[in-house]
Amino acid sequence: MDVVKTPQQAAVTVEPPPGEPVPAIELVKIAKTFSSRRGIVTAVDAIDLVIGEGEFFSLLGPSGCGKTTTLRMIGGFEEPTEGQILLYGDDVVGVPPNHRDVNMVFQSYALFPHMSVFENVAFGLRRKAVSKAETKARVGDMLDLVQLDGKSDRRPRELSGGQQQRVALARALVNRPRALLLDEPLAALDLKLRQAMQLELKRIQREVGITFVFVTHDQNEALTMSDRLVVMNAGRIEQLGSPREVYEHPRTRFVAGFIGTSNLITGRVRAMDGSTALLEAAADECLVVPEAASAGAGVGRDLDVTVRPEKIVISEDRPGSGRCAIRGRVAEVVYLGTSTQYAVATAGGTELSVFVQNASDADDIAGRGADVWLSWRPDHSLALVTTQPAPAESRSDLSGGNQ
Amino acid sequence: MTESSNSNQLPPDVLRGLLSPRVSRRSVLQAGGASALGVLLAACGVSGAKKGPTGTAAVDAAKAYWEKQKKTGSFNFANWPLYIDVSDKNKNDHPSIDLFTKRTGIKVAKYSEVIQDTGSYFGKIQPELAAGQGTGYDLMVMTNGVYLDKLIELNYLIPLDQSRMTNFNANASPVVKNPSYDRGNKYTMAWQSGITGIGYDPKRVGKKITSWTDLADPALRGKIGMFGDTQDLPNGAICAIGVNPETSTEADWRKAAQWLKKQQPLVRKYYEQDYIDPLSKGDIWASMAWSGDIFQANASGANLEFVVPDEGAPIWTDNMCIPNHAQHPLDAMIYMDFVYQPEIAAMLAESINYITPVPGAAAVIKKDAAAATGADKTALEQLATSPLIFPTASDSTKLHRYRVLTSAEEKVWNSLFEPIYQS
Amino acid sequence: MSRSRLGARLTPYLLVLPGWLWLVVFFVVPTFVMLSVSTQTGDIVSGFQQTFHWRTYVDGWNQYHTQFIRSIVYGLITTLLCLVIAYPVAYWIAFRGGAHKSSLLFLILLPFFVSFVIRTQSWNFILSDNGMLLSALKNWGLVSQDFHILATAPAVIGGLTYNFLPFMVLPIYVGLERLDPALLEAAADLYGSKTATFRKVVLPLSMPGVFAGVLLTFVPAAADYVNAAILGGARTTMIGNVIQTEYFTNLDYPKASALSFILMAALLLGVFAYARVLGTEDVLDVAAR
Repeated sequence: MDVVKTPQQAAVTVEPPPGEPVPAIELVKIAKTFSSRRGIVTAVDAIDLVIGEGEFFSLLGPSGCGKTTTLRMIGGFEEPTEGQILLYGDDVVGVPPNHRDVNMVFQSYALFPHMSVFENVAFGLRRKAVSKAETKARVGDMLDLVQLDGKSDRRPRELSGGQQQRVALARALVNRPRALLLDEPLAALDLKLRQAMQLELKRIQREVGITFVFVTHDQNEALTMSDRLVVMNAGRIEQLGSPREVYEHPRTRFVAGFIGTSNLITGRVRAMDGSTALLEAAADECLVVPEAASAGAGVGRDLDVTVRPEKIVISEDRPGSGRCAIRGRVAEVVYLGTSTQYAVATAGGTELSVFVQNASDADDIAGRGADVWLSWRPDHSLALVTTQPAPAESRSDLSGGNQ
Repeated sequence: MTESSNSNQLPPDVLRGLLSPRVSRRSVLQAGGASALGVLLAACGVSGAKKGPTGTAAVDAAKAYWEKQKKTGSFNFANWPLYIDVSDKNKNDHPSIDLFTKRTGIKVAKYSEVIQDTGSYFGKIQPELAAGQGTGYDLMVMTNGVYLDKLIELNYLIPLDQSRMTNFNANASPVVKNPSYDRGNKYTMAWQSGITGIGYDPKRVGKKITSWTDLADPALRGKIGMFGDTQDLPNGAICAIGVNPETSTEADWRKAAQWLKKQQPLVRKYYEQDYIDPLSKGDIWASMAWSGDIFQANASGANLEFVVPDEGAPIWTDNMCIPNHAQHPLDAMIYMDFVYQPEIAAMLAESINYITPVPGAAAVIKKDAAAATGADKTALEQLATSPLIFPTASDSTKLHRYRVLTSAEEKVWNSLFEPIYQS
Repeated sequence: MSRSRLGARLTPYLLVLPGWLWLVVFFVVPTFVMLSVSTQTGDIVSGFQQTFHWRTYVDGWNQYHTQFIRSIVYGLITTLLCLVIAYPVAYWIAFRGGAHKSSLLFLILLPFFVSFVIRTQSWNFILSDNGMLLSALKNWGLVSQDFHILATAPAVIGGLTYNFLPFMVLPIYVGLERLDPALLEAAADLYGSKTATFRKVVLPLSMPGVFAGVLLTFVPAAADYVNAAILGGARTTMIGNVIQTEYFTNLDYPKASALSFILMAALLLGVFAYARVLGTEDVLDVAAR
């Protein structure tokens, strides 16, 4: 997955580099401000993004982070205050939605209540004056694809939430858009249906091969479905990458905190060895952080470090050398079925979470109040950018440099 | 309020069930939608006239009634709009009434201009009277014609106290004494009379109008107003074909209706009462009109003329009468005779410009004119000699009373004339 | 226990009781009284007797069918004009009104804080032959000297349109206002031009409002008498004027009742036919939501 380019590259690139997917959508320094009663509000703050053809790409972030505004600008429902939106190389800023070859699945589905399922799905084709026979065939195929064959005469309100969702999907996909935009399409569904639809959406995307741009605030959804994703916060991109990269290597405190359960350890850098930092700790403890220099680590300065809970091993005895190790006392034990979560208070006063798989040989590692050792492989220590997010350029450089 | 115990109308307890007992029926009926229901229910119940005593028995009964009445010091008066003198300073102050109060000590507690149309007003009070309840008024002014006939016939009026008509007997014009519609002035005394002729704007019409046929002149297409009623319109039309309405036959009516139908395409509108404003503004140039209206309009700046057409014209009289169940009949009776003093009649005539029932008022007006100066003087002099207030003998021969109709005749009459003005 | 359960079961009926009572007292009873009066004969002096004289209906129709037909025609033209004017107004307020929606609606309603009759009378004043409008037009030579508006059918229809316009604006506005903006975006997203979006989405979804507006306008307009009385003249009399005169001036209650019944029957029939033709499942379904 080496499709990310620096914005400088993206802005000037017309032909994609050989061997890479064709960029379907490129956002160049896109910004959107709204004037409100409290003054000018920046919803999207000069972001750059390149989405490849056929990608399942997610915009992930809390509400108000600018992800929906970004999507709506791609769809043409909002015009950017600044910047360019390239659809297969063509700047579409100023082009109204009905002349953009992208389609949207709305959060509320926005199905036409006065039309049958068939008419809803056929709406776009009819506007494009596709022949009757072809319309019928394409709508039929699409209803098959979303498993709604036999429901074509129903009214939207006669369908369940999941079925309405499929109609909305079919209605957009039947037009064979160059990209499909999905605005939290699963938010209204209950958990079970949502999980089923996640798989379903993935299947459909594979079958039609269309670029999906998916907006969600649900990190599990984004991790499950995306080929790549961006985490957005306050109108900016915090991190871009594959689900695994973002999960395993969160670059910022925000990303670390927003995705998954994360442990945060803050310590002073005692020494640097190349890009690896050694943090101050008790004599028999060891806190090593590789690749810390790029996060801005320096001797005598504080560094934020995160370790995923499932990477940490609990033991009564001090583990062998070559591992990061610190002491702690078990504060809480929560049985979770497939795993057990331990809350361990360290000497430094931070509390760390540890997930332990409930394998057959893992019964009762430690009880509440027990003194234990926590250890992990040094490369699981992740240095975080602690300062406030840098300007977009430098941050993009960082993410680019990370590849 | 007394209930008539032998009422053969809708049982009073039913009515009371529908209408709260202590509220006067008048105010209930005025309350919008309820009014139609009240009219309807009452209409269901009307099942025949209740004839009162006749002959000497009637005279005795009236005498006995009046002996029981006492002066109460006030009474309520229902009149038409703009039909009494007003002081220059205050539109709600009526000098003749003030004088009455000063002389007799009787106040007019309520003076209401509630009568807009004889038929409508009859329709309003009929259910009240039919239910044996009062109207809230002791004195009202009704035009001679079907509805006054009906009030008399239904015994809804209190016979007047003949012993308290001194001024009337001394001063009333022969025209209003012993009229055909109320022989012996048993129930009514005239308030004012008027002529239904033609009012026009000489400047716009551009010629002198003298005849009803001028109202069928194609040159005036769209500028002609007519009355939209079953009284003035038909009676005027009968005059127009040269027939005296009082003695007209069904054949005459048909001819008159024919005349109106032929005239209809030229007519701008059939007016209820509101013809004066469009006539002064020039929306219409010539219209059927009531004499006093034209006089009053001119007094307030218009330049109209009124003519009694050559073929003749209807004359009508508005009459004071006392409705049944009046609470202050004696006070009203005293007032009715009071206005028959030439001095009072002159006050009224100077202000409302209709035909006064007291010819002696002319001398008073002349005296007023002599005392006045400037514009007032000419106006009063004009008034004292106006044939529209003191009709000349030659005019009088041209003036005819309305046709009195039987029930059967009324059906034919209405079916001939209604569709013309309801076009 | 069983008492309270009975009470619970009766509660809904008790709650609608005032409604039914209202309907019975102010609609059912008067209707029956009117029906009964319409077949009576007699007059106000000799009284009215029930003789089941249905002939009054035939006579009433024969005498006044012109006025009946005229009322229906005026009502239809008025409704059409109101629709043509009200729809764009309601649309504009609903979609372009922004924060000023309520103020704009208030402006629409403002003239209607003045009495119906006085408002109509003021038009009589404005449109008078030598009034401010026509005298200006005549001075500029735009119309001939004997041109007039008052006492013509256009004057009456214009007055009706003016007076009943809010009855059309408000329901259409309500229908448009509650339209999900996402539907418009969806239509645009699916290649719908502005026209197509309006024709295929906005218009059909606003039909319940139009349907209500048409009823609210047509019924009172066809039965109105004030506009014809004030702005009309000869040959513009509507059936409402005839009924009014028969009731209140001529006191011919049977004829007035019979005419009212014919009018009511004609309007009801018209409304039912209209509901059958236009008020298809679609419209009513959406309206029911």
